[in-house]
Formats: sequence, C-alpha cells, structure tokens
Amino acid sequence: MTEQSAWLRQQIDQLANQQSKFTDRAFWLALKRVVAEQDRRSEQLGGEVDGRTWRPDRW
Amino acid sequence: MTTLVLVSHPQLADSTSQQFLKESLPGEGIIWEHIEGQATLDVAKEQEQLRHADRIILQFPLYWYAAPAGLKQWEDTVLTRTFVYGDHRYPLAGKELGIVVTTGMPEQAFQRGGAEDMTLDAALAPLAALTHRAKMTWLPIFPIYQFGYLEEPEKLQLVIDYQRYLTQKQPDSLTNRQDWFAHRLSAMVDQLPAEQQTAGKLIANVFDQNREHLDQLTDTLAMIKEQEDD
Repeated sequence: MTEQSAWLRQQIDQLANQQSKFTDRAFWLALKRVVAEQDRRSEQLGGEVDGRTWRPDRW
Repeated sequence: MTTLVLVSHPQLADSTSQQFLKESLPGEGIIWEHIEGQATLDVAKEQEQLRHADRIILQFPLYWYAAPAGLKQWEDTVLTRTFVYGDHRYPLAGKELGIVVTTGMPEQAFQRGGAEDMTLDAALAPLAALTHRAKMTWLPIFPIYQFGYLEEPEKLQLVIDYQRYLTQKQPDSLTNRQDWFAHRLSAMVDQLPAEQQTAGKLIANVFDQNREHLDQLTDTLAMIKEQEDD
C-alpha cells in the first residue's frame, strides 16, 4: 500500500466514524473497500505493463 | 433506472432481516411492495409495476427450498400466460430479475455434500426458468446467510452490497462498482456538515484520480498487447 492510499483510507475511516446514520457510515466504509481494490488492481496492471515492456529479445 | 422490490414474508413485522433491508433501501429509484400486505392482488396494477420496472427483485426467506407460499400465489395470479408470453409480446423481455434470499443455514450448507445437499441455484431453478421464459435476464442470486449471526462490520457491508444489487449496473465488475460509487459520491459529500466537507471532497478527488489512473493503465496495456500481436 502506498503512503497516499494509507492516508486516504485513514481519511475515509475518520469521516465514516463521524457519521451518525448507519447507512451513511456504511457508504464510506464500502467506498474504502473499493479504494483498496483500486490500489490492488493498479499495482497488478502496473506490474503487467512493466513485465510486458521488459523484452530483452527486442533489445 | 427503476427497481421493483417485491417482498414475500408471512410475518414481515417480526423479521429483523427484512426490517433491516427495508431501512437499507436506496433513496431513489425504488418501488417497494410487501406481497402479503396487499388485501387483494390488483392484477392490473401489479402487471403495470412490472412493465414499468427495469429490474425486478424477488425478496424472501427460504422455506423448504423455495419461496413462501405468498410469492407462488402472486406468481399464479399476476403472471398470467397471456401477460408473460401468450400473445408473443413478452412485455418483460430484457428486464433483469434478481433474488434476495435469506437463509437460516450457513453458506457451506448449500452445496453438494453440505447439510442441505443442494445449491441455492438448484433450489430456485423454477424462478430461473420463469425468468428465461419471460426473456428476462437472471442476475446472480444475492443470498443472506444467517442474518442473526452477522456482526456490525458485516451488517455495514450488507447495506451497500444490497443497495448495489438493487441499483448497480451488472455484472458486478470493478468498473461498474466504481461508476456506482462515483455517481453517489457528490451527493454524499453535499450532505455532509460544513466541517466535514473538505475531507469529503478530498476523498472524492482521490477516488476520481485513482479511477482515471486505472483507465489509463488499462489503455496502455491494451496498446502493448496489440503491438505484441503484430
């Protein structure tokens, strides 16, 4: 997890904790999950881009 | 998009799971009806509601591997042959049909060799067949196992998973999930009290940036793959 995403998740947690309505809290916490998913996917895609660009046979 | 939620439960007021789901309903685009709560079934009205909806949700507890009798009675009364397919007009064609089913047994019970020795897909096959007959699209079932045992974090998650099942574009891919959240974010930020607005806006901005970044990566990757094919 990058520093920025750790920071973002912390911000979302704080905001979620300030919500008195259960369904509002649920929204922000669920958003946090999607952000975590974005991070994971971004890391995987970035890795794939690197892997596919690294082609010693084309040097 | 309009979603019609048809709830079948003989004692709705006594059901904590059904009350929870009712409280969790999204704020807009939902028509909610309790089937057993109707004194008599107004066939014309019920059929009109079905015609009007883009997504139809049948929501009920699993009783002996099926929906409660009330739903079957509703089917037999409202879904007349002429209405569904008899005149070859198929007014329900292209609509999505989803099932929200609550069970008293845990998830692992619903598989071959499990305590119930049957999957939910198998138990609810007649509803899938009906969906097919009406030329509707069957959505993957949304099961809620043992609601009474859920802890608070699971209940919080259930609220949004349920809302998404009712209103999010299918299939449930990351792209569609992101779109769903993006669509709601600005309204959620707007309703925050003034002192929380800055944090809310910041979160929304980073979320959008992440989304764009993912789109770019996907495009780049597609380009690389295309070149590899050459």
